[in-house]
Amino acid sequence: MSGHHISSAKFLWGVAISLFFLTFLTVAVTWIHIPEPWNVVVAITIAAIKATIVAAFFMNLWWDSKFNVMLFLMSILFFLLLVGITLLDTLYRVDPVPSF
Amino acid sequence: MSQPSSVEEKLDHLQHHFIDSDQQFEASKLGMWIFLVTEILFFGGLFAAYIVYRAWYPELYLLASEELDVFWGTVNTFVLIGSSLTVAMAIRSAQLNQIRGLIINLWITIGLALTFMVIKYFEYVEKFEKGILPGAHYSYEGIAHEKANIFFSIYYMMTGLHGIHVLIGIGLMIWLVFKAKKKVFHSGYYTPVEITGLYWHLVDVIWIFLFPLLYLID
Repeated sequence: MSGHHISSAKFLWGVAISLFFLTFLTVAVTWIHIPEPWNVVVAITIAAIKATIVAAFFMNLWWDSKFNVMLFLMSILFFLLLVGITLLDTLYRVDPVPSF
Repeated sequence: MSQPSSVEEKLDHLQHHFIDSDQQFEASKLGMWIFLVTEILFFGGLFAAYIVYRAWYPELYLLASEELDVFWGTVNTFVLIGSSLTVAMAIRSAQLNQIRGLIINLWITIGLALTFMVIKYFEYVEKFEKGILPGAHYSYEGIAHEKANIFFSIYYMMTGLHGIHVLIGIGLMIWLVFKAKKKVFHSGYYTPVEITGLYWHLVDVIWIFLFPLLYLID
């Protein structure tokens, strides 16, 4: 069954070690002061890779039903719609809300 | 003569409206994923607020994030990833019928989650003492920006909501330990462990984004 994948202990440790390494990397890149806006791009890219590793190999989406994968991807899509449409307003205001 | 019951598949957990254990397991997991989608959008509103204000006041975020301690943020990231590993190990133990291993891994996870909350507590107290409080209660003079309170309102909302999720996760895992001690779980039925694990990993994923967005702004 798709829902009963059993990962080996070695594999789970490997996943955790790769996440620890990427955490170290995301801190280490702040020491070399990458110029704006690339520092944000690098930080978000590393976070997205880490999130993908967790979702695929800890949350078992890699072996899971495609429908659950679709649910996860759709939530990200709708989040990006929320941000995108909001920014179309807030980025182009002449005067941001004065009292905020 | 019928076979002894230990040879038969244990089916106490199976609800009458499901065909078999697998269908029940898949249905539970689908339900959990739908809940996780609502969680992502729940936090998504706060991430949207973060992005809107960062686009308006980029210099504020640079100044204000210097008040956050990168060292303790990094330690907490390692603690949460470690706890994701032990939850995955707990599920593996349940799948292999190793109930002792399941309970041990759950206790380690609870310990790591409490470590995370203790570190968060000291981070909050250190800021409260300086007068860094959310919204109108903000009274810290150390940041040369008139909107400094906005960064910390967002900081407290995001880390606070995340912290509440960690506390709920601790409660769920204590409940799992009690269930496991009553011998409820075995390789044919460990749905609550799997479902709680999914929740816990999502809490980890949200922290994976919060950490660079709040602590690691040069």
